[in-house]
Amino acid sequence: MSDDSEKGGPFFVGYLPVPGPLRVFLLSVCLAVVGGLAAAGYFMGTAQDDPGPGAFRFDYGRQTVTGVVEMTPYPVIHVTEGNDRIKPGDSFLMTAAGKSGVDSRAMPLSGQLVEVSGIVLERGDLYMLQLRGGRNGLKAAEGDAPQVTAEPHGRWQLTGEICDGKCLAGAMRPGRGLAHKACANLCLLGDVPPIFVSSQPVLGEEFLLVTGPDGTRLPRAAYDHVAQFITAEGEITKRGDLLVWEIDVDTIEVTP
Amino acid sequence: MDIAQALVMGMQTWGIIGAIVAAVFLTIGMDRIDEDARGAYVFRPLLIPGVMLIWPLVLWRWWQIEAETAPWAARYQAVRGWYGAAVIAMSVGIIVVVAMGLSVRQTWPADAVPVQLSIGVDQ
Repeated sequence: MSDDSEKGGPFFVGYLPVPGPLRVFLLSVCLAVVGGLAAAGYFMGTAQDDPGPGAFRFDYGRQTVTGVVEMTPYPVIHVTEGNDRIKPGDSFLMTAAGKSGVDSRAMPLSGQLVEVSGIVLERGDLYMLQLRGGRNGLKAAEGDAPQVTAEPHGRWQLTGEICDGKCLAGAMRPGRGLAHKACANLCLLGDVPPIFVSSQPVLGEEFLLVTGPDGTRLPRAAYDHVAQFITAEGEITKRGDLLVWEIDVDTIEVTP
Repeated sequence: MDIAQALVMGMQTWGIIGAIVAAVFLTIGMDRIDEDARGAYVFRPLLIPGVMLIWPLVLWRWWQIEAETAPWAARYQAVRGWYGAAVIAMSVGIIVVVAMGLSVRQTWPADAVPVQLSIGVDQ
């Protein structure tokens, strides 16, 4: 038995009415806990960065277009026959469901005319197609494939962030930043195309496909800098209407 | 070695030492300091995760009892004297970690302008 109860002080028992002297204390604690948690939730929410406008566009419905597959080495579709939303001349990247790319499906069709079908992920000027499974998502089409031209734009020093294209385009919110680093690296390991978000538009584009030099995949050394704000150099080539930045990992510097 | 590798190596080292301590304590040490546990083995695997986690405390208590540096009744008393300090240290630690994380957070380099270092071959 405690000293308080021996002295006849107030003693709280859950299934009995609250003793008078403890009511103010109990009410104060309840208000402090509820108010404190509400305030903490508000401030934590308002302290977060804006996740951006990226999203799955299920409201567009399934999109089916025809185009040429180019391995950059990440597969890109240069549209030859579009629809109401995806116009001929557009170039876009593709992904499979989950954290997977479509390299194994696209590689045998490289340079050929194909029909692709899937759901659009869209963030501003950047969009990507999450393909349907198997041949329903990507299959050879009849017709001659036009030649895709590559337009070199020289060597550039850019500042920004390497992200995985799928989450950035809208599969995750947030789809970029340190909070998303592990997810981004898992996506890149699964062959989802990496995208560089530039601090300011480059040749009119904010988003560039980022690869290694000479048509290689993004080097693993760059994975350590995914989701960090970096400065680096590399050659920019325009393929269709998509800018491809061949990053030189030896020039990567983390910004303050 | 970067911070992530150091953290993983630290946890691996802690776990490996903990596993060794668990193996020695649960097969030899326990019989030496607790006569009630002698001949009882089924429950011992259940203690492995806990020993791996708090192996310094296990070693300290083992040594304390083995060397009889504390009164015999001490073995039945939890180490409650540290709880208050531990609570304060952890509370302060959380605040410090959050503050450090926010202080080293990068800011988006919105003012950084793309610089063309050379022109393309076809340009």
